[in-house]
Amino acid sequence: MSDLPLNLDPNKMTVSEFKQYLPELAAAGAGKVSEDARFTGFFAANPDCLALVKDLETIADAAKSLFEPVGDPSDKVWSNIASKLKQGGGSDD
Amino acid sequence: MPTKPNSGLFKRNPPIAGEAEAIELAKQGDAEAFSKLYALHKRRVYTLCLRMLGNVSEAEDMTQEAFLHLFRKIGSFRGESAFSTWLHRLTVNLVLMQLRKKGLQLVSLEETINPSEEDAPRRDFGSPDLQLTGSVDRVTLERAVAALPPGYRMVFVLHDVEGFEHNEIATMLECSTGNSKSQLHKARLKLRELLRTPEQLAPIEGVGGSQKEAVQ
Repeated sequence: MSDLPLNLDPNKMTVSEFKQYLPELAAAGAGKVSEDARFTGFFAANPDCLALVKDLETIADAAKSLFEPVGDPSDKVWSNIASKLKQGGGSDD
Repeated sequence: MPTKPNSGLFKRNPPIAGEAEAIELAKQGDAEAFSKLYALHKRRVYTLCLRMLGNVSEAEDMTQEAFLHLFRKIGSFRGESAFSTWLHRLTVNLVLMQLRKKGLQLVSLEETINPSEEDAPRRDFGSPDLQLTGSVDRVTLERAVAALPPGYRMVFVLHDVEGFEHNEIATMLECSTGNSKSQLHKARLKLRELLRTPEQLAPIEGVGGSQKEAVQ
């Protein structure tokens, strides 16, 4: 529960409080917030909050697919590097 | 909080055959070995630059700078982390330095790289009927990420794409971990907004459009 203040009851918190603590909840790394049993009652009463959380989780999951490279730099990049190395191993410092 | 030794980028990468030999030869100034290192790592470095900068031309310039910097600094690589991790961090630092040179102050994320009011995500949650469908097309997500304000994009790419921890990002960006978490949250909120109107997202020049695959 270190992601929430000790005196905050998940089933009694307001939407505003949920919004306030959501960045910390999402960063806690203890599984998906949307599947966190502590919030079952809260989400049942606030479906927009559940929809938001699920969307943000979808985005975070999809981001992992972007780890794979998108393509190569153009050939001129290596040409420039090779040319600068021939001139003396790079530039400044 | 100590930084995990092998956390963050490239942790999903296995060792590359022939890389260790190429590194040792490149340290001695062997041009062919350096060329091999370029061939092995150019895509990763370029992709990182492209995602952080959101611009093909700048990404190519930065890729060039990263490898020239690598050539000058490779002698200091001690093998304490994977070479790809080391190169990745070197590249991130160069990109951040470049952004600082361009006037993007990173000393205080909260105060200086927050986007303007119109770029910031809306404060309302939106209605459920606009909810994402549970899958996001990769190409569309690429475009949305490119459309993020630079400060949001940087934290999103470093955390959600590259796998850095908040404490690592905080160190790199010279901000608090709380700021990093807050920026990431705002970035995801902004992406949610952008993904609701994908037809308004501009294509990214130089990024393959053939990777149109839904990601669950």
